[in-house]
Amino acid sequence: MTDNDVIVAEGIVKTYDDSGVPVHAVRDIDYTLQKGEFTAIIGPSGSGKTTFLNVLAGLDTPTEGKVWLSGKLISDMSGRELSDFRRDHIGFIFQAYNLFPVLTVEENVEYVMLLQGVPSGERHDRVMDILEKVGIAEYAGRLPMQLSGGQQQRVAVARSMVSRPSLVIADEPTANLDSKTSGALLDMMRRLNEETGMTFLFSTHDEVVMQRARKIVVLQDGKIDGKASPEEC
Amino acid sequence: MLVKLAWRNVFRQKRRTILPLLTMTGGFFLSSISIGWMDGSYSSIIMFFTNNRTGQIQVHHRGYLENPSIYSTVNDYQAVGALLDSIPGVRVWTPRIYSGVLLAVRPQGAGSGNVFSNSAAASVIGIDPAMEEAATCFSSRIESGEMLSSSAADTFYAATGQIILGRELSIILDASVGDSLVMLSQAADGSSADRMYVIRGIISSGNADIDRNTCYITLSDAQILFALQGKVHEITVMTRSLGTVDKLTDEISAGLVDKDLETDSWKIFAREFYNGMKADESSLKIMIFVIVLVAAMGVLNTILMMVLERRREFGVMKALGTRPGFIIKMIVLEANIMGIISVIAGSILSTAGLLFLSKHGLVMDPPLDYGGTVFREMIASITPECYWIPAICVIITASTVSFLPALKAAHTKAAKALRTI
Repeated sequence: MTDNDVIVAEGIVKTYDDSGVPVHAVRDIDYTLQKGEFTAIIGPSGSGKTTFLNVLAGLDTPTEGKVWLSGKLISDMSGRELSDFRRDHIGFIFQAYNLFPVLTVEENVEYVMLLQGVPSGERHDRVMDILEKVGIAEYAGRLPMQLSGGQQQRVAVARSMVSRPSLVIADEPTANLDSKTSGALLDMMRRLNEETGMTFLFSTHDEVVMQRARKIVVLQDGKIDGKASPEEC
Repeated sequence: MLVKLAWRNVFRQKRRTILPLLTMTGGFFLSSISIGWMDGSYSSIIMFFTNNRTGQIQVHHRGYLENPSIYSTVNDYQAVGALLDSIPGVRVWTPRIYSGVLLAVRPQGAGSGNVFSNSAAASVIGIDPAMEEAATCFSSRIESGEMLSSSAADTFYAATGQIILGRELSIILDASVGDSLVMLSQAADGSSADRMYVIRGIISSGNADIDRNTCYITLSDAQILFALQGKVHEITVMTRSLGTVDKLTDEISAGLVDKDLETDSWKIFAREFYNGMKADESSLKIMIFVIVLVAAMGVLNTILMMVLERRREFGVMKALGTRPGFIIKMIVLEANIMGIISVIAGSILSTAGLLFLSKHGLVMDPPLDYGGTVFREMIASITPECYWIPAICVIITASTVSFLPALKAAHTKAAKALRTI
């Protein structure tokens, strides 16, 4: 493991129990993600993309294997430590946006910083700065339901990045968007990756997303089936 | 942010919020009305019972209540009266003499011989007509005939003697106004106490048990008859308010010069009546408990449903690094916000209901017989208890029943919750 590694996973196995029948979602994966990467995990539905991301993010515990996040072994952390670690080091973007419906755009983006205890004035400045970057500053006072799907996902991107995490994990971020919006969103994410050096890891089976990834990991039946550049896909 | 989130969550699905709001408001309203109603009823019953007869405080010779002997007297009742007159909380007081007697009636027109048709054992109470009237409005309960009089100008009755019979006693004796009767007893000096009286009135006190064995003569007659000149057995005290009785009892007790006297409140000398009231209060507590329990079940059900519906949201919160404590606080706060709204709404509704019931009351048809005393109308009273008891019940219920769902939400597995649709 080097200082440049954001995630190191060794021998990850995740098996679910489905009414007594074991389901092998992830099978013996070794994987390393390095700082500044903009990597897509691709694979058909049921290939274990989401499970793999959840294990890497510490949202799910592996049945076997170990995961180091920014040099820290997840299994050594208590629930509270892991919770605080996610808050400070990982940003999440979900397929269904998952914004808090009762909070405005500004408040949604502010939420994680509030958990971190960032002072009020600084929070506001950082929120407005990131909203400018994702191009929705004018909607800061609106509720999520007053925005389009693409706009909501931009808010989610802003929320994931505003706390300046070392890693942003996105699970099928464009699954609910049309191809034009998907392309625009990915372009924006890639630009932010280049500007900030923040590491992005996302799952997808969307051609538009694959084309914009710098690295691609192919997952098949819970196993890494190969790594490729977008051109090779 | 916590308060903001909780407040907005409460109103995000109005239809879902209305159910626990209605349940808690209904619970508050029912509890409040029950307390006001029972408080009002108890106060009415107690005031009726005590004002009608016993008073709220009594002064006796020490031990008289346990052993009501003719010799256990208040020897200087005027001195006690002077003390009572100096205490502002005392509305009025009246002295009484009690004894057991045998009565035999001689109907009008039976001639001058000793022809007695019926007899009965009874209790006689010697009363000061003017003071008794001020204390208990005695004359208002006289069914036929008229009130006793101490006036020297009333020469007829001064000569014949005058007595008032309880209604049921008059039926037993088959006596009516104008009939004569003879009273036989023993005086405090050991001599025979007997005298003829003319029945001046028949009284219906509202308590048939009392009216079945009680008759009344003037205090001065009783003092002469029982050789108790200047003495009485009891001083009955009427207070201005039921709430000050305990304090006044202590005050009177402390002010008494004669340490052979004791002062008791109605809770002591009407112990059975008081215990009956306490038993009724217990039934009120059970009723409130049932109301709270029903409301709690409704609120628990709704909050559990709400937690289940928002499972994905809690998963997102957990994924973003929200600590379980934050989620617990948020849900308990949401329930408490609903609780506070219910308390406000319930207070408004209860005030309207209590105002109506305190003004108009409810006519008891048939009348309520409470220990022989008949009540024809009950009114509610508005006391602080009508508000703070239901308010505390609602807030405690909201906090308690929301805690379990909150705990469940706080320990949502993020990965699992995010898979839910």
